[in-house]
Amino acid sequence: MLGSRRKREKKARALRIYFATDLHGSDTCFRKFLAAAKVYQADVIILGGDFAGKGLVPVLGQDGMLSAQIHGENVTVPAAEWDRLASEVNRAGFYPVRMEADEVARLNDDPDALDRLFRQEISARMQAWCDLAAERLDPAVRCIITPGNDDPVDADAVLAAHPRVECPELELCDLGPVTMASLGVVPTTPWNTERECTEDELGKQISEMMDQLPEGRSCILNLHCPPYASGLDDAPELDATLKPVIRGGRPSIVPVGSHAVREAIGRYQPVVGLHGHIHESRGAQKIGRTLCVNPGSDYSSGVLRGAVVDIAEDGTCLDFLLTTG
Amino acid sequence: MASSEAVKGPGRGTGVESTRLFVRQTSGLVRELGIPAATGISLASVAVVNTFINFNAGLTDFAKSDMYLPLVAAAVIWLVAMFAYRYLLRAVPRAGGEYVYLSRIVSPAIGAMAGLGIAVVFTYVLSTNAHFAAQFTPFMLTGLGLVFHSTAIANAGNHLTSNWAIAWLSVVVMLIVAALGLFRVKIVARIIFWLIVLQVVAFLVLIGILAGTSHSTFVSTFGSYSGHPAAYQSMISVAHANGVLFGTSIASAIAIIPFMVLNYNGVLYSYYVGGELRRPGRTYLYASTISIVLLVILWVGVWALLRDRAGLTFMQAQANLGVINPTAYGKITSLGSVSGGLGYGMILTSNPIARILFATAVPLAEIAVNLAFLTVTTRVLFAQAFDRLLPVGVAKVGDRNHAPNVAIGVVLVIGIAFCFLTSLVALGSIVALQSLFFALILLAGGVAALFLPLRRPELIDTPGAEEGARKAFLRKVAWVGGATTVLALFTVYLLVAHSSVYGKFSWESILTLVIVLGAGPVIYAVARSVRRQRDSLDLSMAMHELPPE
Repeated sequence: MLGSRRKREKKARALRIYFATDLHGSDTCFRKFLAAAKVYQADVIILGGDFAGKGLVPVLGQDGMLSAQIHGENVTVPAAEWDRLASEVNRAGFYPVRMEADEVARLNDDPDALDRLFRQEISARMQAWCDLAAERLDPAVRCIITPGNDDPVDADAVLAAHPRVECPELELCDLGPVTMASLGVVPTTPWNTERECTEDELGKQISEMMDQLPEGRSCILNLHCPPYASGLDDAPELDATLKPVIRGGRPSIVPVGSHAVREAIGRYQPVVGLHGHIHESRGAQKIGRTLCVNPGSDYSSGVLRGAVVDIAEDGTCLDFLLTTG
Repeated sequence: MASSEAVKGPGRGTGVESTRLFVRQTSGLVRELGIPAATGISLASVAVVNTFINFNAGLTDFAKSDMYLPLVAAAVIWLVAMFAYRYLLRAVPRAGGEYVYLSRIVSPAIGAMAGLGIAVVFTYVLSTNAHFAAQFTPFMLTGLGLVFHSTAIANAGNHLTSNWAIAWLSVVVMLIVAALGLFRVKIVARIIFWLIVLQVVAFLVLIGILAGTSHSTFVSTFGSYSGHPAAYQSMISVAHANGVLFGTSIASAIAIIPFMVLNYNGVLYSYYVGGELRRPGRTYLYASTISIVLLVILWVGVWALLRDRAGLTFMQAQANLGVINPTAYGKITSLGSVSGGLGYGMILTSNPIARILFATAVPLAEIAVNLAFLTVTTRVLFAQAFDRLLPVGVAKVGDRNHAPNVAIGVVLVIGIAFCFLTSLVALGSIVALQSLFFALILLAGGVAALFLPLRRPELIDTPGAEEGARKAFLRKVAWVGGATTVLALFTVYLLVAHSSVYGKFSWESILTLVIVLGAGPVIYAVARSVRRQRDSLDLSMAMHELPPE
C-alpha cells in the first residue's frame, strides 16, 4: 500500500492545462487568460466556450463629446478619450460601438440589423483576440478555444482560419498523454441560445465523438455544460418571466446541468471533465473516477477564474487547483 | 442567433434619449432581484425573536440596563458597515463574503486564514444557537403543558435544566438541523420559510397582546399566574433585597451595545447574493437601509411596550433574581426567568394557538437560523476545499439528494463537540463570545473596505470620472472602511473591557479563540508545505493576480 502510494507520488507531470471559460467578451479577462500561460507555466491553455459578449453599448458623438451609458450611469467624455471610454464599457464584457442617434433608432426598429451588428462585433473581437494570442503567447504553448452555447456560429470560421488558435469543436484533439473531446452545445435553455439541442441529441453527439477514441486511451471531456446534479450546475431557479424564484428568503437554487453529460461521464470515465456554462457554480467534484471541474466565471468584474490541471505521462490526473486571477 | 433587444436608458444630458444598451438574449443574464426581494432576504436572515435572548442577557449582565440606546447605536454601527459592504460589493459583484474580500484585497494568505476562521466560527454559532434552543426547551414544555393541560409535559421541563440536559438537548437540535439539511435545497428553503413565518407571527401576536394590555392588567395577571396576587411587588422587593440595582445608566447602555450588535446580525446578508441583485450597489443599499430601519422600529417599539406594560424595574428584578437567587425566584413564580417578553405573552393570553406560538418561537427560530447557517458554513467549507486547504471530498455532493453530505457531517461533528464545550466546560458567556466573533467578522469587512482603495483601486469602477473626482471617491471609500473598522474595534473594545461579563477570558475561552483564529494559518501552512514536498501545485497560485498586459 505504502509502496503504491510512493509510486503514485513519483509520477512526473507530462502536461499542464490551464482552463478558463465564459469570458463573455471581457477583453481584460482574455488578456489575463493569455498571461496565465506564463504565470501558471501551462503547456496548453483552453478557453471552454461563451467568449461572445452579451451587450452592445452605443457611443454617441455630439459637439466633440462622446456619451454612453455604463452600468446604468450616463457618462460623457471628450472625443479624444475614446480608448478610456471603450475600455470602461468593455469591463462588463460589452461592445462599445460609435454611432449616430438615427442609427440607434434604426437598430431599435430592426432586430435583424441589430443581430448582424452583434455578429460582426463578436467576430471582430474574436479576430483581435486570436491576433493577440499570436503576438503574446510563447510558441510552445498551445491555445485551444472552443465555442459555447452563447457563441454565434459565425465566429467558428474566425477560429478555424487563424493559424495560432485551435478549435477542435466536435472533434478529438491529441494533447500528448491524453486526448480531448470538445462540445459546446447544451440542452435547451429558457433563453433559446445559438447552440442548443435535446438531451438525446446531445448524448448522441458525445457518443459519436467518443466512439472514435482508441480503446484504452485516456481522455478529457471538454463539454461546456456541466453534468446534472453534480454541484457544478447549481443556478437560480427562474420563473416564467425569467426572474429568480425566492424561497425561504433566499434565491432558490436548482441543478440545471445535463443528464446526457452525466451519463457520458459515467460511461466513458474520462480522467477530467472540463465544464463551464453556470458561472456561479464554481467547484470540483468526483464522479466515479472522473474529476469534473467548473472554474466558474466572474468576467463582469474583470476577474479571471480558471483551473490548472496536471496530467501524468500515463494520462492520469495528478493534481488540480482552481485559480482566481 | 438568439434575439437581441434594446434596453432603454434615461438619456440624461446627451441630447439623445432612448436606447443606451442593446442586449443579446444569452443564457444566465439573471440580475433581476429588486429592492423588495433583497429586503426580504435581509429580514429573513434576522431572527427577530432572538432579541428577547439579548434583552435578557443585557438585563442580567449589567446593572441599570435599558435597551433604547444600545438598539439605536447598534443600528448605526450596521448602517456604517452597510456602506463599507456596498463598496466591497461594487468592487467584487459576485460576493463570497469576507473570505473573498480579504483574499483579493489584503492577501490570499490572510483571506485563507479568515475563511477557515469563519468556517469554524459559523460552526460554533450553530452550536450556540442549538444551545439557545435547548435553554428555551423547558419554557417550551411549560407552555405546551399549559395549552394541553398536561402537568407531565409542564414538569418535564423542570428535568431539563442541568448542564448535561442542555448539552444533550443541543445535540438533538444539531441532529434535527443536520437531518433537515440533508433534504434537497428546495425543501430546505421551504422549511426555513415556514419556520421564519411562525416566529414573525409569534412576534407580531406578542406586540398585539402587549398593546392591548394595561400595566395594571399585567400586574394582576402575573399575580394570578404565579398563584399569589402580590407576586409582582414581591419580585421587585426580593430582588432589591438580593442586591439588584434598578434604574438606568449610560455606562450600562454603552456596555450592552455588543449584545444589540448581535441582534442585527444577518441584516446585510443580501450582499451574499450580490450576483443576482439588479444594480447591486443601489439595491443592496436601499434593501439594507429599509431592513435596519424596520428592525429599529420593531425592536424599539417592543421594548417600549415591555417597559410600559411590565415595567423596567420588574424586568430588571425578574431577569437578575432568576440568576442570583433561583430558589427565591422559584418561590415567587414558575415563569422562567429567561423567557422575557415571550413569557409575558404566555401569561397574558389564554389563546392556545398564541401560547403554542410563544412556546415554540425560539426553538423554531434557532432551527431556521441554523439551517440557513448550515448552508453558509458548507459553502465556506466548499471554498476552502476548492482552494485545496481541505480535502476535495468535503465538497462532495450527494447523488440522490444533491446535498453536501460530507460537509454537513463535518459541521455536525464539530458542532456537537462545541455543544458539549459550551454546556459543560463553560467557555464563558456564549452570547458574548458570539458577539466577539461577529465583531471580528465585521472588523474583517471594515479592514477589507479600508484596504480596497489603497491596495486594489483598479477594482473600484468610476466610469467617466475625472482623475480628481476618482481620487475623492477612493478617499470616501477609505473613510467608510476606516469608520467601520473603528466601530468594529470599539465593539471589540467593549467586549474586552467588560470581560467579566463578556467572554470571561478564562484559559478555556482563550484557547477556543486561539484555535478558531489559528486554524486557518496552520491548515494553510500544512497544506502548502505538504504539496511543496510532493512537488505538486503551489497553493499560493490559487489567488495569484494575473497581469492583463
